Parts: sequence; structure tokens; C-alpha cells
Amino acid sequence: MPMDEQELISRSRAGDVQAFNLLVEQYQRLVFNVALRMMGNVEAAEDASQDAFLSAYKAMGNFRGGSFKAWILRITTNSCRDKMRVARRARVISLDTMLLEPESDPEASDIESPEDYALRRELGKFIDEGLTHLPEDQRLAIILCDIQGFSYEEVAQVMDSSLGTVKSRLNRGRTRLRDFLLGRKELLPPRFRLDK
Amino acid sequence: MFLFKRERLCEKVQGMLSEYMDNRLGNGDRALVKSHLDACEACSRELASLRMTVQLLHRVPQVEVPRSFTIAVPEPRREGVLGASSLRWLRPATAVATVVLVVLLAVDFLNIAGNAPDGGDLLNELPSRNFSTLVTDSAGNETGMLTEVSPAPGPRPFDTTKALIAGNQTIGNETAGNETVGNETAGNETGMFAPTALPPAEGTIEQEAGGFPLRQIEIAMGAVLFALVALMVFVLRQRRSPVRVK
Repeated sequence: MPMDEQELISRSRAGDVQAFNLLVEQYQRLVFNVALRMMGNVEAAEDASQDAFLSAYKAMGNFRGGSFKAWILRITTNSCRDKMRVARRARVISLDTMLLEPESDPEASDIESPEDYALRRELGKFIDEGLTHLPEDQRLAIILCDIQGFSYEEVAQVMDSSLGTVKSRLNRGRTRLRDFLLGRKELLPPRFRLDK
Repeated sequence: MFLFKRERLCEKVQGMLSEYMDNRLGNGDRALVKSHLDACEACSRELASLRMTVQLLHRVPQVEVPRSFTIAVPEPRREGVLGASSLRWLRPATAVATVVLVVLLAVDFLNIAGNAPDGGDLLNELPSRNFSTLVTDSAGNETGMLTEVSPAPGPRPFDTTKALIAGNQTIGNETAGNETVGNETAGNETGMFAPTALPPAEGTIEQEAGGFPLRQIEIAMGAVLFALVALMVFVLRQRRSPVRVK
């Protein structure tokens, strides 16, 4: 019988690594995807994710309840920021490499035709490039809200900000990203071309 | 005036478009935005482009994790010689080694410093060895001066033990001999004594004298201290990374 999250958390706080690993398995996809969109670099995203889980394991004693998802993502974004400071000086590997690799996306393969799937991946490239042009806070707000589907309240929890700040970051971020895509609309597939 | 008011309204509405799209506006603001959008084509286009951007964002694919990020269960620690508990003996051992080394260095320093100014035992005996060598090397020319100082006419091997045991009187003689050699060298200006006049290392003197080999013990103690510090660093680094990644 699967344990509920609260039980896993309390066992992890008591030092049970196996319980913590069940939490890792539950959140690693989310953590890695957020890290990947933040960093724009697969290897750096892997490092940031691993560091985030290690830090979380060490800091489980400090977890005072609330949303574990928000807590682990806050650790992840802090880890990403630390890595980005280092990565700014290093060569950034384009997401193109990652996106061209075979990827098991059941949602895509079941519903979409191969053409649509390829199109979606192409779009992903543009979006990722656009995201890298946004300030970190706006980028994170968009990743969490528009890519990961978080509510405003959850985004505020992860970003440790007020709702007003989240709304403002989202609005500015979306407008900037829209402007970026408009500047390259001839590169977008016809059905996704934006008009202003 | 009308245009200015309209521009301000557009600006206000455009600031709320994001929330409008996400159904996060209150009834009043929502009605305001809706009625403005019905009348303003520019703001409608703005909304459409933002909506398309968000739709594109929703279509960004999720990426599968390239590997698992689970954490390995820490293996039970084997408490060997270099286990975490070894710090219990490493710390005091390092402290003791440090104190011993400092004491040895202090003794060595005081010994040298104490002997240096008044032409004491060790330093003043060094040239007396040269003196005897001088007899061997330059038996011809220097004999006159040397025979006055040296108790034996022929070459005499240096015996520091004797010199140390003999006390001040012998040392006084040796010192006198020393001065003579100094004068002799200065007088001749040949520099012939230079190769043999180099003082040997103090440790060698002590060894020859059969005394306490201070310098060797200092070096050994230094090596022991270095090894202990290296072990401590190793053990501390092991303690810092208790969790292993799979």
C-alpha cells in the first residue's frame, strides 16, 4: 500500500532515506523540468536537481510542514541560481541537443501525429530561447505558471513573494516573451505565428 | 484630451490582460476589461497575441529525467583506524606533536642564541677542527704558528666530546687557536684554507660528539606532525560527505 506524502515526510525527517527516495521519485520529473527551463542546459539542470534533493535531504529537519512541492521547488530554484552564477562563465549547451534526442512523452505519442509532435518540439526550441532572454524572476513565474501549470498561490509560495508580485512578473514576462516571439515570427510555423 | 484618456485606459487594461486571461480579476475589473476590449481593436489584438503566447507555453513538452536522483542509503560505517572516531586520538596526538616540536625548536634556538655572542662551546669549536685540518693540509708553511697552539706536532683528529668535557680551560685554548688561525688567514691572503674552513652542520657535530641529535629529532617530529595533520584532514573530509549519490 503506498504511503501518503505526510507519512513519507515524517519518516524522511526521522532519517529514513528510503522514504525520502519515494518523495524524490514523485517529484524528480517536476524538479528536473523546472531546473532545465531555468538553466537551459541539461547537464547543469541535472546537477542542480541532484544538489536540490541532497540539500533537501540534509535540511529535512528544518521542514516545518506546508507544501512539500513548494519547498522542494524553492530549494531547486535556489540551487539553479547558484549554478547559473557559475554557468554564466561557462559554455552553455543549447537545448536543441536535448530536444532532438528521443524522448518518451506518452502524451505526445498517443495523441499527436509525428508531424505535430515535431512541430511542438520546434516550438519548444523557440520558447526555450525566449525564456533565456527573460529576467530570472519573470522566467521562473512563467515556467511554474504556464509550463508546469501552478496556480498563482503556488507560484507565490515557491517564489516566496506576494500574489501581487507574482501577477506583475507574469504579466511582464508574458509580454516580453510575446515580443521576443513576434520578433522571430517568420521562424515560427504558420499556425503559431503571432500578430500584433 | 479624449485620446489621452483612452491611451491611459488602454495602458490600464493591458496591465490586467494577463489576469483577465487567467480568470483572476474581480467582477468589476473583469467587466471593465471586457467592455474595453469590445471597443478597442489594439487591446484585443494584444490579448490575442498574449493568449497565443500562453498557448505556446502550454505546449512546451515535459522532458523525461535522464537519470534517477534518488539518494543511496548510506552504508554502515566501518570504524577502522581512520574512522570518524579516530579524531578522538588524532586531535590530542597532533596537539602533543605540535607542542613537542615547538619545544624542540625553542631549545635548539636558545642553544644557538645562547652560544653565539660569547664564543661559546659549539661555535668556537668548529674552527678548531679546521685548525687541525690546517695542520694536515699546510704542514710546511703554517707549522710555526700551529705548534704554539696545538698540543701535538702532528695532525690531531678533532674530538668534540673531549672538548666539551674538558670545560672552559680547553675551550679557552681552542678559542685562542682560533684567533690565531684567523690572523694567519688574514695575513697570508691566500685563501688556501677556504675549502677546509667551511663549518660542518651542527647536527653532525652533535653526532660526532655523541650528544643529543636535536636536528634529526626536529625533522622526524615535523614529519610526524605533517602526517597527523594530513590524517586529520582526510578524516574530516570523509565526515563531510556522509551521503552518497546513486
